Amino acid sequence: MRRYTLNVVFCLAAVALVALAQAGALDKYVLTIITFIGINCIFAVSLNLVNGYMGEFSCGHAGFMCVGAYVGSLLSVAFFTNSNLFGAALFPPQWAPFLFPVVLLGASLAAALFGLIVALPSFHTRDDYLAIITIAANYIIISIVENIDAIGGPRGFSGMKKTVNAMSDVADLPWMLIWTIFGFFVCVMTIYRLMTSTYGKGISAVCQNEVAAEIMGVNTNRVKIMAFMISSGLAGLAGALYAHVYGYVNAQAFNILKSTEGLVMVYLGGMGSISGVLMAAVAFTLLVEWLRFVIPWLNEVSHAAGLLPAGYEISQIWKWVIIPLILILLMQFRPEGFLGNRELTQVFPRLKRWITFK
Amino acid sequence: MPLLEIKGLTQRFGGLQALSNFSFHLEERELVGLIGPNGAGKTTVFNIVSGFYQSTEGDIVFDGKRIGGFRPHQVTAMGMARTFQNIRLWNDMTVLDNIRLARYSWLGYGFWSAVLRTGHYRHSEKLIETKAREVLEMMDLADYAGELPKNLPYGLQRRVELARALAGNPKLLLLDEPAAGLNSADVEDLIRHIRWIHDEFKIAIWMIEHQMKVVMSLCQRLTVIDFGCIIAEGTPEDIRNNIVVIKAYLGDEAL
Repeated sequence: MRRYTLNVVFCLAAVALVALAQAGALDKYVLTIITFIGINCIFAVSLNLVNGYMGEFSCGHAGFMCVGAYVGSLLSVAFFTNSNLFGAALFPPQWAPFLFPVVLLGASLAAALFGLIVALPSFHTRDDYLAIITIAANYIIISIVENIDAIGGPRGFSGMKKTVNAMSDVADLPWMLIWTIFGFFVCVMTIYRLMTSTYGKGISAVCQNEVAAEIMGVNTNRVKIMAFMISSGLAGLAGALYAHVYGYVNAQAFNILKSTEGLVMVYLGGMGSISGVLMAAVAFTLLVEWLRFVIPWLNEVSHAAGLLPAGYEISQIWKWVIIPLILILLMQFRPEGFLGNRELTQVFPRLKRWITFK
Repeated sequence: MPLLEIKGLTQRFGGLQALSNFSFHLEERELVGLIGPNGAGKTTVFNIVSGFYQSTEGDIVFDGKRIGGFRPHQVTAMGMARTFQNIRLWNDMTVLDNIRLARYSWLGYGFWSAVLRTGHYRHSEKLIETKAREVLEMMDLADYAGELPKNLPYGLQRRVELARALAGNPKLLLLDEPAAGLNSADVEDLIRHIRWIHDEFKIAIWMIEHQMKVVMSLCQRLTVIDFGCIIAEGTPEDIRNNIVVIKAYLGDEAL
């Protein structure tokens, strides 16, 4: 029975969420936040595979999200909409809800391919050098996208809303919420199952003692490249979802700041802990949204108290002071994050009575 | 045909000649020792044989196949296992997981099977689990299956490493100073374990060791090297009385 508790709870929560959204009980803002929490979860959990389980330091994860976002958008526009870029739709728009997984898959594969391109030359290096290479890769990807005029260049790319609308025409459901839940499920399931199999434990082995891993039969180069590809592929999935939720993509949304957000979520949650990173992704997304309200309030209060000169306003830019500050404080006072490298069931063994994750 | 045959192995690190013209052979089920003063090149031999270094010159044939140029994981898959002078366990994984991972070369399934949890995956994992528990049982480690290696005393860590090497069903086991850092009671245990492994698994063992007690009581044959050259070969009795060997260890004045 307990084998299925978590699955049942997850399914019930998903159905409840979709039902609430369908009934109109959640306003559009709340719904968007929930969707973004899901996307951030995918983004952070996939980064955790490389930075947590494998112990490497990838700083350009958003670059792969960018690849996924653009490839997903292009596929979706080419498949289901009449556009200037691709001409008439390849498939009738009524097929959109059924073929959307193909769009997601295509985006993931493209991002995984980019992961491979970055991984092949860089995995003879380690640590700091890999960090530098991944930052560079992030910039390269953004620059490439910004310099292709056909897909909008620096102006960004749009048209995905039509796909989402086409899905709504077939059945009036909160489609993007459903697809995000689906993506979340695929991502968490993939990483969890991988890391509990002996095959995936090869990744931890490489992290904990590479020489021992190599001598015990683990092909370390292959394992590293595999992990990097899975990680970037899932980031691509997050990207494709993001593009469709927004209906618009711009390469600058996936710059180094976005990569930093990913790092904050992973280190906040605890490297190598899926439950920790999920908690962190939820907490972090909510925090960023909360700052949206807190900063103007702080501004008003400080002005009322006469703490700030009349001409100075605290703007939303301060978000980018506060978030890195969290990272600094975290490294100082709790470098292992919420859960360290343990899962929730290891921190609270009593939970095991209720759940085993399958 | 010998299980392992090394011919004219030479290794240079820049200007340093770490090994010159090292030739050696090992039959199936033999238990042979490799000794020599510090820095003589013993670990270099092991590192070349297990695939970590590529030798400058020379030929290595293991189990009828030339393994020069093989990477360590390929050598392992052919049935060679080794332990290290300084213990190299995966410290944040349970002892059981450490042993399970030794079956990595013979997993029999890949990424998609792992993610989709196919019947094939479940079958393979069950076999691995059974094998790992069996090895733990045999090495008197069953009680520690759920422990993290870093929480175990040093002697037990050595034994876990030995168990991990055995879990791959090797034909040849390379032991790099298995008694290093052990107290005398642990050394007795180790000698007993190695002898038992040798009889029970019917495998060949080649060991580097400094403690004469271990070498003399276990090995059928010894090779002595100094400055990368073989200076003596023979039974432990012969070696004990060999003047060249005594010179290498103790210097000319000792005579």
